[in-house]
Amino acid sequence: MNALLDGFGALFTPQIALCILAGAAIGMLVGAFPGISATMAVALASAFTLTMDPLPGLAVLLTILVAAQFGDRIPAILINTPGTPASIATTFDGYALARQGKAGIALTASAYASAIGGLVGIAVLMAAAVPLSNLALEFGSPEMFALVVFGLTMMIEVSGGKIVKGLLAGLFGLALGTIGRDPLDGSDRFTFGIPQLVEGIPFIAVIIGLFGITEVFSQMVERGHAQQEAVRSFGRWWPNKAENRSMIKPVAVGSAVGTIVGILPAAGGDIGGIVAWDQARRVSKEPELFGKGSLEGLTAADSSSNAGVGGSVLTTLALGVPGDSVMAVMLGSMIIWGIQPGPSLFSQHPDLVYSISGILIFATLLTLGLSLLRMRGVAKLLELPTRFLWVVIVTFCIVGTYAVNNSVFDVGLMLLFGVVGLLLRRFGIPAGPIVLGLILGPLAERNFRRSMELGGLETIYTSPIAVVLLVAAVLAIAVPRIRSRMKARKRPSPPGTPEPRQPAGVGS
Amino acid sequence: MRSRRVAIAALAVATSLAVTACANRGGGGETSSANYPSKDLTLIVHAGAGGGSDLTARTLAKELESDLGKSIVVENRTGGGGRVGLTYLKDRPADGYSIGFIPVEVAMLGHQGADIKPDQYTILGQVMNAPATLSVPAESPYQTLAEFVAAAKAAPGTITVANSGAGAIWEAATLALGESAGVTFKPVPYDGGAPAVAAGVSGEVKAVMAGVSESGAAAKDGRLRVLAVLAPERVAALPDVPTGKELGVDVVIGGWGLMGAPANLPAEVKQRLADAVHKAASSATFTDVMTKAGNTPMATSPKDATAFTQAEFQRFGEIYQK
Repeated sequence: MNALLDGFGALFTPQIALCILAGAAIGMLVGAFPGISATMAVALASAFTLTMDPLPGLAVLLTILVAAQFGDRIPAILINTPGTPASIATTFDGYALARQGKAGIALTASAYASAIGGLVGIAVLMAAAVPLSNLALEFGSPEMFALVVFGLTMMIEVSGGKIVKGLLAGLFGLALGTIGRDPLDGSDRFTFGIPQLVEGIPFIAVIIGLFGITEVFSQMVERGHAQQEAVRSFGRWWPNKAENRSMIKPVAVGSAVGTIVGILPAAGGDIGGIVAWDQARRVSKEPELFGKGSLEGLTAADSSSNAGVGGSVLTTLALGVPGDSVMAVMLGSMIIWGIQPGPSLFSQHPDLVYSISGILIFATLLTLGLSLLRMRGVAKLLELPTRFLWVVIVTFCIVGTYAVNNSVFDVGLMLLFGVVGLLLRRFGIPAGPIVLGLILGPLAERNFRRSMELGGLETIYTSPIAVVLLVAAVLAIAVPRIRSRMKARKRPSPPGTPEPRQPAGVGS
Repeated sequence: MRSRRVAIAALAVATSLAVTACANRGGGGETSSANYPSKDLTLIVHAGAGGGSDLTARTLAKELESDLGKSIVVENRTGGGGRVGLTYLKDRPADGYSIGFIPVEVAMLGHQGADIKPDQYTILGQVMNAPATLSVPAESPYQTLAEFVAAAKAAPGTITVANSGAGAIWEAATLALGESAGVTFKPVPYDGGAPAVAAGVSGEVKAVMAGVSESGAAAKDGRLRVLAVLAPERVAALPDVPTGKELGVDVVIGGWGLMGAPANLPAEVKQRLADAVHKAASSATFTDVMTKAGNTPMATSPKDATAFTQAEFQRFGEIYQK
């Protein structure tokens, strides 16, 4: 208990308060800017914080991380462009809500869900960091492969009912994911001698193109055809009682999923958000609304990707092995400050662990307050005439994409994907499965092939975790179809009920 | 009406492309070398902000600024495992206003199909080295490097050794160690240094090859046992760990870093920059940050660094031949 008091007490100084404020301001700005990720902001800030003492330095860096995860929802909801990859799943329902004139409620609900998810993640960090971090070590290559296969089954669900088109889009995403250096033998695949493609197709350029630019192009082309106007009105800001109640379950699901995914190495807020969105859909009473403007889907995704922050901090502190790229940067700073992450940190310096948790809690609450205040200001921006707004959005997308790698190639690629996205939309092909294939495809391949190197198929079927996840993947696809077939039998049989499907992708 | 909208959309795309294309030109004006430096410098880094190379470059840049009296803008040109940044640096004008951090990949990528060779650069001096470490999980039966090598001899090509990725320096280090000890290991590439170390800690692999800065944390905590450090001398971060040479396997390999510029830098400019780099790399701030990060700070002359780089280029050619 003393460690708790010491740890929190150390934070009540004007210097720390200023650091948290500065971090929150920087973080929210970079989060709202598509392309500039939390990793980049933390990395650039770490060059300045190295000369500070560890605690103020950590206050700046951790707050930037937390605040960026809040800020990135705003463009996701208002202009269909994820501010950072962690808010990909936010666009699924957030933008749909905004189009229905419910942007206000979406922003408020998203901010609360993000805060609750974040706090749950931190609470878990404080309570059980060391035992839980061992879970991360249980997830080797075979287990990660199985988890990713489970994730791939969601392609069907993010297709919005258009299963064939969704699977086509998913295949396109998987194909894009094969671009780049072969993960095992190092030879170049489909790079056409372009060095920018050696490490894989620039992911951020693709998502900004497919989501943000496609939206602007489509509004330009369709304007005059009504109903394609940009979001103009915010509607109510506060959810009513029934809406609040409906969000309890998805936020609980999201927080749990997000914390677990965050603990796993190499899986961040983007995957956490997508997995939670799908899990919440499965337990929802109104699954048909998901992807068409469901508050449940929005809050599940947001609580999950924010709960992941606690999870990834936990893995990093308890294992000394970073949970994602932001934490890799953070770990570098800690080591230079002389903080040695690992299980012994928790036994020897519990006060420091509590200080870190405290910083995360203050940062979350402060950012929640700022979000609720500041969102009204965003409304002013949207009062611009549409054609000016387009310019602002396209400029944001170009500058943000350029900033990732200082690369004009990336900007060209982003605009190309804007056009690709426009064509796909014309044919009614959804963009969600493309992104899913692009994120998960390379992960599935690497971990599968690595498992084969490590000991062949045996590594997969002898791992209980992998087997459970693979069975879950099969069930995830089969059960809804069997159930709908049984329902169909009870009634006079309508023809053409779909066959249960086996998961694609296994053994690919 | 609609065709007009399409035209506007197309125009918007074209304009934005043109604007970004223009943004990339510019700079590189002629200035005499007598009053060098008369304007700000750009320091190109092949890796993203926040990594080890970026930290080295930024720390060095601060020291260089105070010596040269001009600002140094660090520019991260990432991609292609170093290809993008190195290609960009070599194509900059050789006027002393574009300098770069040159990683070990300059000696490797030429053997992996890229048009990158050490003689395309003016090398100003070596500034750091991150020696390779071979570590096993804490509960591993192998207590010494000799036992580990003996195991590989008994079962060639089956002893798995994790590394940070296909074609990366730690994979080459695994091959070089096997070559030197007369055995064949099975290198297993992961998606970065941290996942490789995690695989070592969890025991998914028999051993992990990584830089001191990557394996150091887990080693100090007792979850990894470092069998050998492949450096010329023992390193400050792991004073109790013997070098490969001490153990009879004479292989020295690591992720080193140089400072450089495009080839054919004017002689006076080269001299001025080399002096500044030497001074910055010897400064207390730089050596302190490097040591704390687990790397070995260095400050060699342009001549020594150039010879070293050529030798490394030859050597990686031989490693990849086999």
